[in-house]
Amino acid sequence: MKIEIQDLRFIYPTGLEALKGISLTIEAGEQVAIVGQNGAGKTTLVRHFNGLLQPASGSVLIGDWDVKKYSVAKLASRVGYVFQNPDEQLFSRDVLTEVTFGPKNLKYAKEKIDELVKRALSLTELTDKTETNPYDLSPTWRKMVALASIIAMDTPIVIFDEPTTGQDAVNVARIANVIAELRKEGKTVITITHDIDFCAENFERVIALSKGQVLLDGPAREILGQEEILAQTYVDPPQLTRLGKRLGLKETVRNQEEFLNSL
Amino acid sequence: MHERLSFHIKRDSVIHKLNPLTKLTLILALILISFTSPWYWTPHVVLLLAVIPLSGLGRVFPEFFKAATRLILPAAGFLFLMQAFFQPIGEEVIFKFYFLDITQESLMFAFRNAMRVFVMISAFTLFLLTTHPSELMSDLTRRGLPGQFAYVIISTLQILPQMQAKAQTIIAAQRSRGLDTESTFLKRAGSVLPLVGPLVFGSLVEVEERAIAIEARGFTSKNSKTSLHEIPDPSFEKTIRWALLMLVILSIAANLWLS
Ligand SMILES: Nc1ncnc2c1ncn2[C@@H]1O[C@H](COP(=O)(O)OP(=O)(O)O)[C@@H](O)[C@H]1O
Ligand SMILES: [Mg+2]
Repeated sequence: MKIEIQDLRFIYPTGLEALKGISLTIEAGEQVAIVGQNGAGKTTLVRHFNGLLQPASGSVLIGDWDVKKYSVAKLASRVGYVFQNPDEQLFSRDVLTEVTFGPKNLKYAKEKIDELVKRALSLTELTDKTETNPYDLSPTWRKMVALASIIAMDTPIVIFDEPTTGQDAVNVARIANVIAELRKEGKTVITITHDIDFCAENFERVIALSKGQVLLDGPAREILGQEEILAQTYVDPPQLTRLGKRLGLKETVRNQEEFLNSL
Repeated sequence: MHERLSFHIKRDSVIHKLNPLTKLTLILALILISFTSPWYWTPHVVLLLAVIPLSGLGRVFPEFFKAATRLILPAAGFLFLMQAFFQPIGEEVIFKFYFLDITQESLMFAFRNAMRVFVMISAFTLFLLTTHPSELMSDLTRRGLPGQFAYVIISTLQILPQMQAKAQTIIAAQRSRGLDTESTFLKRAGSVLPLVGPLVFGSLVEVEERAIAIEARGFTSKNSKTSLHEIPDPSFEKTIRWALLMLVILSIAANLWLS
């Protein structure tokens, strides 16, 4: 499902203008990473996609729906949003209830709900933890519960807000696996991340935000090569990309494979 | 997320600058005078000529007005109705409602009591709006209030805004997963239910975390603590406090004298 953002502005009640005119189009099935320094407005931007925040001016279209005309609950059938902090997202007694909450609200048929929940649990490797209270799990597993509870909703658009922050390598691999799976199913995946290696390895398109504006937007290969501009929003290209540049490689490389190939 | 942990609104005003103890004395004096003064119209006058102008002086009138109309007025109104109907005083019935009689006396009585309660809650609201809780507590502990008391007071002051912030995040999380909280009243009432569990549970978890956090900073340490913030207490404020105390004593004396 396509997302179209036209000259979006947003001002917090404190008077802070967090988004200063953002225009973007994200096509159905695209895999997009959003990067940028803390406070650049990344979370503020994606919270408009599911209606948690309303534009001060400009517009956001999710498919043919203008977010101003639909409630958050309605938009939930099109946009799944995994919060930055799982503690702000989880509220159920046990993992199974938590993961079932979304699809049940979307009023899918009973069999479909069971199937979606089962698949979400197995993708996140939570199948043996269904009876546990999310608060008794470690933060890394809580993150997986947050992921599972959103992907079980089977929305055409899925948003991850800093999914890898504070996660160990094993969990980062799990999250990458979930994203790869969603890509196979043709879903639009938008991921906010500070983990530039994670970004380089999993996403085709990168959008860099800085101070409420789009600084760069394009194919990952092009964007990650722009060291000087990225520095404006405190993003360093991946180490291999920088090393490749220092070695004078012609192409911008993003991962080990590309690096070895161009040597 | 920017959670508001208190009702306090940071603004630059004369009232904000007062020493917390002076403010506390001021509102307690206003409340005590409203309750003890023998003159019938005291609470009304205190509200109109002290509490409301002070909220303007403290530059929090819009917030004060919102709290007053949405929260305090219904509470005082309820009290007024209960007392007007169920106070068996006076002879002359001026209004009959089934088996309930309303007399001129019960009406007057209820009006004053409702007004007293209005003054009490609104004065406290004004205090909370213009005083940062941690400033109040630093000042009181510096004057010798035991830390444990300060902790109890401050967590009581913070519990409402904290619960409110917590409820808001949970509502946002649930709506993001398709829970319709905006439709009919019945549905809305029903959607409060899934909120209660996580709210209480989350608050308990928070209490534990906070206990650990303050202990890690030497809460029960016997050594005397220093403070990063100096809270000024100029001598004219001491004079104000004494004057207020005198007014309260006068009011109580007048009450005893006349009764
Ligand atoms: N609830 C809020 N109230 C006021 N200001 C906020 C709130 N949330 C975020 N901000 C401010 O808006 C700006 C953008 O925040 P955010 O979108 O969270 O940034 P990012 O996700 O890129 O780190 C920051 O300056 C932040 O301090
Ligand atoms: Mg953020």
